[in-house]
Amino acid sequence: MSRHIVSRTSELPPGERKIVDAEGRSIGVFNVHGRYYALKNSCPHQAAPLCLGAIKGMTLPSQPGEYIWARDGEILRCPWHGWEFDITTGRSIFNPHKTRVRAYEVTVEADLDDETVETFPVTVEDGLVVLHI
Amino acid sequence: MATIAPGPTTTTTASLTRTGIVDCDVHVYPRGNDEIKSRLSMPWRDRYGGGGRGFFGNPVHGSRLDSNPPNGGPVGSDPDFLRKQLIDEYGIAYAVLLPRAFCNLHPDPDFGTAIAAAFNDWLAETWLSEYNPDGVFKGSITVNTQDPVAAVKEIERWAGHPHVVQVMTDSGARAPFGQRQYHPIYEACERHGFRFAIHPGTDGMGINVQPSPGYPTHYIEWHTCLSLAFQAHLVSLLTEGVFVRFPGLGVTLTEGGVSWLPALMWRLDAEWKSLRSEVPWLDKPPSAYLRDHVRLSSQPIETPDNPKHLLAMLDLLDAEHVLMFASDYPHWDFDSPTHAFPRLPETLHRRIFGETAREWYGLE
Repeated sequence: MSRHIVSRTSELPPGERKIVDAEGRSIGVFNVHGRYYALKNSCPHQAAPLCLGAIKGMTLPSQPGEYIWARDGEILRCPWHGWEFDITTGRSIFNPHKTRVRAYEVTVEADLDDETVETFPVTVEDGLVVLHI
Repeated sequence: MATIAPGPTTTTTASLTRTGIVDCDVHVYPRGNDEIKSRLSMPWRDRYGGGGRGFFGNPVHGSRLDSNPPNGGPVGSDPDFLRKQLIDEYGIAYAVLLPRAFCNLHPDPDFGTAIAAAFNDWLAETWLSEYNPDGVFKGSITVNTQDPVAAVKEIERWAGHPHVVQVMTDSGARAPFGQRQYHPIYEACERHGFRFAIHPGTDGMGINVQPSPGYPTHYIEWHTCLSLAFQAHLVSLLTEGVFVRFPGLGVTLTEGGVSWLPALMWRLDAEWKSLRSEVPWLDKPPSAYLRDHVRLSSQPIETPDNPKHLLAMLDLLDAEHVLMFASDYPHWDFDSPTHAFPRLPETLHRRIFGETAREWYGLE
C-alpha cells in the first residue's frame, strides 16, 4: 500500500472533490460532511469518468406517491447514465452487493513539514488528505 | 426477391477504404438559436424560439455531463471537442449526424417545414462542410412529415449532396408511417438514394399522438416506451406494402430499441399466414422484407444481466444483417463503442460496428 498526498484539508472542503492520478489510476477524493472518501474514477457500467458526476442526495425507498429526500451530499451520480453510488462505500444504490466501484482508504495526517506544528495535534487544523492505494 | 436497395453512392474505391467504426446516431447542435434563426426567413425568424419537446425531460440529466465543450456552448456544438471526445477517442470512421429540429410538433405545417429547411442549411454549411474536411461526418436532412409535398421539395434540395446519406424525421406523428399520405416522401428518398430514418421525438407533443394509451406519468415510462412508436411504424410500413411499392427504399430505425423485433416479427408472420388475404401484395412473410429494407441502430442496446441472453437475442434478430452500432453521443444514455456490448464473435462485431452501415449508406 502506498501513500499519495492529495491536498491540504483546507483545499478540499465539505461537498468538494478532487480527481488525482496515482500509479496510473484516476481516483476521485471526496469530502462528505468533513470525512474523506476515495473512489475509482471509472463507472463499472461502461467505464465513464464516474467521479465527474453530480454529488446529490437520493430518494429513499418509500410508499408509492411518497418522496423522502435524504443523504444530501453522499450520493454520486454517474455523468453518463446517472447510476447512483454511495460515496462512503462505493456501492451502487440499485444493487449494492453486486454493482460497486472500487473504494480506497483516505486519512488525514498532520503536515510534519509544517514548522508551525510543534506537537502532534489531536485535531488536525490544516493537515494533509492522504490517499492509500 | 426485392431489389437490394442501392446506397446514396454505389461506387467503391478500394484505395479510399477507411477502417474504423461507423456510429449511426450522433447528435450535433447549433451553437445557439441564432444559427437557426439566421437561416429562417420572416415571419418564421421572429417566431422561432428553439426548443425541444417541452416536457418528459430527463429528471437526472439529458446529456453526458462531460460532454459540455470546455470552451463553452451547448453539448454537441463544438466540432473540435466532438472529434476529441468521440471520433478520435474511439476511432470513428464515419459519424452519421442526426440534428434535433423537433419540427414535427407544430400545428402550422409551413412553420415546421421552415424549421426543417433551416436546420438542413445549418447542417450543410457547418458540420457537412466547414467542420468536415475529412468527410467523417455524414448527414441526415430533416423533413416535416405532416406536409409530405413540402417534404419532397426539401428532399430535392439535397439530391446529390456528397455528405447527405439519409432523410430523417421524428417518430412522433399523427398516423403510422406506412399510410399513403407519406408515400411521396418515400418515392423521393428512393429516387435520390437516401435512406429514411426515424428517430424518437415529438411523440405526444404538439399535434402528434402519444403511442401509449394516454400520457405516462414518468420519464422512465415515456423513455422505455419510445419503442412502441417504432413497432407501430414498422408494422405499418410492412403491411401497407411500402417496400413493395418502393423496392429501393430503406428505412433506418434509430434509437427505437432492438430486442422487440424478433417477437414482433413472429407475431406478424403468424398473423400473415391467416390474414394474408387482407394484404395480398405481401407475397412473402413480412419479416422477409427486413433484410432488404430495414436497419436498426443499436443504442440503447438492451442489456440483460446475463450477456449470453443478449448474444442469443442478436442471433434471433438477424443482427449480422440488420443491426448497426450507434452511440447517441452526447446524450445521457450514450453507448460506449468499447463497453456497451459483450464480446462478440468476430464476424458479428465487424458487421455491427461498420460493415453493415457502410453497405447501407454507400460509404467507402
